[in-house]
Amino acid sequence: MSKEKTKMIHIQIDGKSLEVREGTSVLEAALQAGIEIPHLCYHPAFPSEGSCRMCLVEIEGRPDLELACSFPVKDGMKVSTQSEEVTKARKNMLEFLLAEHPLDCPICDKAGECKLQDYYEQYGFFESRFEEKKEKKEKKVEIGKTLLLDQERCILCTRCIRFLKEITGTRELGLFNRGVHTGVNIYEGNPVENNYSGNLVDICPVGAITDKDFRFQTRNWFLGSGPSICPLCGRGCNIDIEYHPGFPHFPVPKRVYRIGPRENHRVNGYWICDYGRYHYSYIDEDRQEQIVDNKKEKLDSWERVLDFLKERIKKLYYMNKTSRIAVLTSSWLSNEELFLIRKIFQEDLNVEKIFLTDPLPGEEDNLLLTPERSPNSKGASQMGLNFKELDLNKLAERTEVLLMFGSHITEHFATAQTQEAIGGIETKVLLNPHISDLNSLMDVVLPTCVIAEKEGTLTNVKGLVQPFSPVFEAKGHCRPEWEVLVNLAKKLALNFRYYSPFTSVKPIFKKMQKEIGFFGTKK
Amino acid sequence: MIRVLGNFIEIIRGSVITARHFIVNMWFHIVNLLGIKTQRKGAVTIQYPEEKKELAYRHRSLHRLVKRENGKPRCVACMLCATVCPSDCIYVEAAEDPDPEIQKYPSQFIIDLSRCCFCGFCVEACPEDAIRMDTSLIEVAGDNRDALVYDKDNLLR
Ligand code: SF4
Ligand code: SF4
Ligand code: SF4
Ligand code: SF4
Ligand code: FES
Repeated sequence: MSKEKTKMIHIQIDGKSLEVREGTSVLEAALQAGIEIPHLCYHPAFPSEGSCRMCLVEIEGRPDLELACSFPVKDGMKVSTQSEEVTKARKNMLEFLLAEHPLDCPICDKAGECKLQDYYEQYGFFESRFEEKKEKKEKKVEIGKTLLLDQERCILCTRCIRFLKEITGTRELGLFNRGVHTGVNIYEGNPVENNYSGNLVDICPVGAITDKDFRFQTRNWFLGSGPSICPLCGRGCNIDIEYHPGFPHFPVPKRVYRIGPRENHRVNGYWICDYGRYHYSYIDEDRQEQIVDNKKEKLDSWERVLDFLKERIKKLYYMNKTSRIAVLTSSWLSNEELFLIRKIFQEDLNVEKIFLTDPLPGEEDNLLLTPERSPNSKGASQMGLNFKELDLNKLAERTEVLLMFGSHITEHFATAQTQEAIGGIETKVLLNPHISDLNSLMDVVLPTCVIAEKEGTLTNVKGLVQPFSPVFEAKGHCRPEWEVLVNLAKKLALNFRYYSPFTSVKPIFKKMQKEIGFFGTKK
Repeated sequence: MIRVLGNFIEIIRGSVITARHFIVNMWFHIVNLLGIKTQRKGAVTIQYPEEKKELAYRHRSLHRLVKRENGKPRCVACMLCATVCPSDCIYVEAAEDPDPEIQKYPSQFIIDLSRCCFCGFCVEACPEDAIRMDTSLIEVAGDNRDALVYDKDNLLR
């Protein structure tokens, strides 16, 4: 943000005195002060357009009502948002907008979070006086790989057009025809094909642009929502995960129904990319929920598994042979988890064979998506872990205990290759939130949590450390890795005083801040 | 002590009232049976199930899903009935209808009648007049719970 010297001026809205920056619009000033002025076409990310005319307000000394979204504040200005004239004008504007609007709410995915519905309930409540036949328009235009457009529902606010002009610069949508026939559409045969198209669904104030992925899946008022961080690339966009808490008497097929952006101007602004938006199936599909015990040693509870691990590690530890332990980490782990791995394995047990297996890099774009396909590559690189170069033979050579976090190794080596290399290792343990090809190669597979189910912090590519907390509870036997690591450290009776306060993530984070310079200096 | 005595007196009073109704009605029935016309008739008992009482115009009976002219359900799977239902006993799953004017239809529509309290809120909430409780079927029973879980095929009539 540029640090120009902006003059502060004083205005009054509905009798409330406000100090605002010169140059802001009346609408922005009101919103900042928590005063609601209905608006449809204004969006804080773009210059105002003034096309919906919902934001009319009365300004002392002006003969007509003015558009709050495009009228700049002036010193001493007195604005009224509730006068009789304003409420009447609002009602009339709504009547104009609804004159050509279909009664689609029962089949419209936006119903329940539609601004037009909300405003009608707040300021409308009139009987329709429209006797003519409504104009027929296209109701189901495929304007993109995940987008459907209903021209009848469109209120011509042009938010979508401005998004594609200002943010992506791809300009796939335009306004066609005139008068009552005006409609948004794509230019012949050129669909909206950029990595940010899903944001159109969020910014369309009505149900004109809807998402094929969410289409008819459920009704949005059944969904709960929780803040989280997108783990699918290094950007760490702030997101809201919308999930179904379930019906009391009927099962629902899945938990997560959609992902949306959560405003954060330090990271992602108002947007997220389509890659992060639509690849949420990892939260519910192919999840490892139970402990897999291929050795048939009755390892059916975490307690037993930890005892089993303790035995193996202790043995090597007493014989001074911890060089025979190998740990495969991944930057899908949180900072705290990587810190615990450093503490337990690198420092306390002197394990040398620590590797990093990350998903293979993908394509990046010039807005948000980074080539890293994990949320904490920066954190992993700053943790002071001495990663060895990933090499199956080095990994397996004389190794007796293998601890693997995540199954990203399958992206680097064919499963048969891995099998051949690690086949001779005595104890092979995988901690993984998902069922993978590796399950059959391992002695024990332990179910862990995805980001949406646990607590911790992640460091994005820019070095910003962002906390996240669980959106919903883990299923089955799934436990977060940090908890497993702390319990293992306790079992191994490593420095009891050090590990015993780690009953939650906060004390681990505090310790990490103290010990690792990178996290201490950044706030 | 006095309270106990009071209760006891009430029990006797109740029995006397019951007995009085029984004897009075029995008396009128016998007299009527003997062909003697009196102004007052004995209280009537309908011989259910052989005999059935006529249902009131505004009664609420077993639900039905109203059909369109082509036989398809009028329901558009908006789930407002499922939302309003105080017993949480309606489950609707939506699917895509090829007709762009309809777009949405229920691929599944389940009412668990063993939970339903017959409040009729679902009928009130429906924006399409697609669910009604006017079938006059009030004898909804089954010998297991599953028999009372009605699906779309049972409800479309
Ligand atoms: S499609 Fe939505 S965002 Fe675009 S102009 Fe119409 S109402 Fe506005
Ligand atoms: S840019 Fe990266 S972090 Fe942001 S939504 Fe897309 S995949 Fe997720
Ligand atoms: S009658 Fe009431 S309880 Fe029964 S299904 Fe309808 S809304 Fe639910
Ligand atoms: S309220 Fe009516 S249209 Fe909506 S799901 Fe229920 S029966 Fe169908
Ligand atoms: S918000 Fe001001 S005209 Fe639309």
